[in-house]
Amino acid sequence: MSLLEVKNLEKLFPVKRGLLIERTVDYVRAVDDVSFEIAEGETLGLVGESGSGKSTTGYCVLQLLKPTNGSVRFMDKELTKLSRDDLREMRKEMQIVFQDPYSSLNPRMTVGNIVAEPMLVHDQGTRRSREARVRELLEIVGFNPDFTNRYPHEFSGGQRQRIGIARALALNPRLIVCDEPVSALDVSIQAQILNLLKDLQRDLGLAYLFVAHDLAVVRAMSDRIAVMNKGKIVEMGAAEQVYTNPQDDYTRALLAAVPVPDPRRMRERKRERRKLAHAVSL
Amino acid sequence: MAVNPEEMEVRQDVVRREMSEQTFEAGTAIRQASLWRDAWRRFTHNKAAVISMVFFVILLLYVIIAPIVSPYDPNAVNFDIAYQSPNLHHFFGTDEFGRDLFIRTALGGRISIGIGFAGTLAIMIVGILYGSISGFVGGWLDNAMMRFLDALYGLPYLPFAIITLAIFGVVNFWTMVVALTIASWFTTARVMRGQIISLKENDYVRAARAIGARWHRILFRHLLPNTLGVAVVFIFLELPNVVLGEAFLSFLGLGINPPNASWGSLAQDGNEQYLSHPLLIVIPSLAICWLILTAFFVADGLRDALDPRSQAAA
Amino acid sequence: MALLEVEDLRTYFKTRSGDVHAVDGISFSVERGRTLGIVGESGCGKSVTALSIMGLLVPAARIETGSIRFEGRELNRLSERELEDVRGRQIAMIFQDPMTSLNPTITIGTQITETMQRHLDVSRDEARKRAVQLLEEVHIPNARQRLDDYPHRYSGGMRQRVMIAIALSCNPKLLIADEPTTALDVTVQAGILDLLEELRDEHEMSMIIITHDMGVVAEAADDIAVMYAGQIVEQASAEELFDHPEHPYTEALLGALPQLEGEGVRQGRLTAIPGRPPDLLNPPAACRFAPRCKYAGTDSCTQEPPQLREIRPGHLVRTAHPASERVAVVA
Repeated sequence: MSLLEVKNLEKLFPVKRGLLIERTVDYVRAVDDVSFEIAEGETLGLVGESGSGKSTTGYCVLQLLKPTNGSVRFMDKELTKLSRDDLREMRKEMQIVFQDPYSSLNPRMTVGNIVAEPMLVHDQGTRRSREARVRELLEIVGFNPDFTNRYPHEFSGGQRQRIGIARALALNPRLIVCDEPVSALDVSIQAQILNLLKDLQRDLGLAYLFVAHDLAVVRAMSDRIAVMNKGKIVEMGAAEQVYTNPQDDYTRALLAAVPVPDPRRMRERKRERRKLAHAVSL
Repeated sequence: MAVNPEEMEVRQDVVRREMSEQTFEAGTAIRQASLWRDAWRRFTHNKAAVISMVFFVILLLYVIIAPIVSPYDPNAVNFDIAYQSPNLHHFFGTDEFGRDLFIRTALGGRISIGIGFAGTLAIMIVGILYGSISGFVGGWLDNAMMRFLDALYGLPYLPFAIITLAIFGVVNFWTMVVALTIASWFTTARVMRGQIISLKENDYVRAARAIGARWHRILFRHLLPNTLGVAVVFIFLELPNVVLGEAFLSFLGLGINPPNASWGSLAQDGNEQYLSHPLLIVIPSLAICWLILTAFFVADGLRDALDPRSQAAA
Repeated sequence: MALLEVEDLRTYFKTRSGDVHAVDGISFSVERGRTLGIVGESGCGKSVTALSIMGLLVPAARIETGSIRFEGRELNRLSERELEDVRGRQIAMIFQDPMTSLNPTITIGTQITETMQRHLDVSRDEARKRAVQLLEEVHIPNARQRLDDYPHRYSGGMRQRVMIAIALSCNPKLLIADEPTTALDVTVQAGILDLLEELRDEHEMSMIIITHDMGVVAEAADDIAVMYAGQIVEQASAEELFDHPEHPYTEALLGALPQLEGEGVRQGRLTAIPGRPPDLLNPPAACRFAPRCKYAGTDSCTQEPPQLREIRPGHLVRTAHPASERVAVVA
């Protein structure tokens, strides 16, 4: 029994025209018939370029956006059909880490309050026990727990991501959607955060839906991979398989386009890439 | 053929990040200065703003303290000392009834500024409520509320105030406040709505929803506190408007009844004698100007200070 | 004589707390027809270097010392007007964000011809003809019709191509590309890098490509300079740098990259570099990488700043512990 089962997920955004009275003239199919599963403790990498619908998929899974159609079954409950209160309960089990360390933390809340908020919202524990848990969480993510009274702006991007991760862990979720968690960070900090995410997964048994555009990063984190293009999943399978033996043209073009830090290998890749040129749109 | 926004091929995250970075690479070790500390520094470097703030405070202190320490009775009639020019006993001189102008101007200030603050507060409350609800709920309600606001915009502010006073029948502190507020909150509402709408896009709001926070927590804990900067600027912008509005109405004769006086009614009293005793109108007028100028400069300074994009030479 | 020679460039930013040493003494040269890649993380000073060369610094920044010689001419000493003649005509620059580099209220055609009419003595018709040629050269389909479109009708990748077309319009000898593909999708990036290579060969243009992406420099650069905390810490030809990285930072950077190819990627750990880059307000007096370096000892690293030296022909490095000089650690 999978932790998460997504079937035929669809998300349409209306395109509106008109000045005084807006009419809907068309729809953008941001997510188009997407299905996948994630088991406990597993990482599914969701990779694609801008506009592929990967982030939208993540939001739909968490019901932060209401799917237009389709089913999201999490811990054996159909999320799309839950009442508001029941959904709120389920939120304890599924959390999200955002991409932008600068806008994902409320600038007017202290670090301690930010990490404690999930517990406060669900009435968990006393102020003292929450404080203790906040310290524990910050330590787990490698952030100095003495800084709970400071504000986010006093910290660097990497540290802020750690705060965001601590917040996501506060309620002991089973699944975390990582929405481009390292895209905004420098390479050397990226490695720190990716290692942290790996360690947390191993220690806490977390499942990840890892959304990213960076193929190398996704490879380092994922057990299985789904490649998205224009709202659809074009290929899905075990990570090794997809990377070494891609079946779909788009996947092949995507893999061929990624530069690798090896000049000789790059020359070979450029040759291979030109052969695939027909799959790349201008 | 328009480009499908999905095919922009550009990572909006990178674009957004680059826009928010400082204009020079200075290493991550230099902390991104906080909005408030940076704003404070910008404000204190703005000489006009600081001087205005000082004068504003001086004015406030004057209207609060002067009547307390003054030995004179503002209502005591004594024709012997009428129409005195400013002297050591009566700093502003006396009026046609021999009343000390220094204390009367201060008391008038209490009423004018009091109405100003009360009116501004009322404008802020109504404006913030209307704008926040509209921006927060969005959708058809936002649409409806904004169209309604558009219609209201057409209302002329002062005639409406006059009509309101006429309906009340009596002019006292509170009716004046209501009259001045009734047609002045529109811009505040609009701006607050804009703020809420743009703040809603921040990831920390999404994060709050992901945690399961209910709407009131999101509105009061996450959205409104982040509009504080804008709200403060508006307070200093609306205050002079309200004071001026009250002065104008009083000057027209619709002001607060004697013996209580506001600056406007003082000016109206002095209006009849301005040729022979100009001070009676000049002094309250100067007081009004003082308030308006200082408040506007402070508002201007605050607005510049809080604008993260203003490029002051560091 | 190299096309561009930069010697001991120092660019400082004036802030309320003092001077930030964004670029603190770098030297490099670009030969005709070759591409130099300047690679480093944010805050290392690579973009500021480019802006210094172009004379496009914000007022708060100044070139403290150093020389920038283009074809033997000292750019630093030119007046603003003379510099404007060089900019666009001899040295062109393309920027990172294609969404804001083009003026949304002016047609693409006008933006291209504008540059030509500024620098070259051409009529408007000739300029327009050339503009169509340029758009075709950068592979914009239906160039003639699209000439009079506004930027919003172009996707990000196409806009970047237009930027390249504008940059090439006056046949510059040197093209500076500041993170030209960072904001673009990876397939589009590949297209742009291919295009740059194609154009460089055809026009015998030199290029400086600035990026944080080691893969991009591996693909596009002939020579590479690695920057850290305002200094060049390693400089070599591309193959030499990747074959024999000498500086601990270069090694660490390569180790921190998740690999696209190869095995055991999922299970392995990435080599994280602890700590953060130093404060450039008061740059450390000794080696700037020492606090984060696993080879730093209590020796010279923390006492004096290492100098840039040639460890192999054509391979410069600024460290007290280059890889080839390290004594193997016996387990």
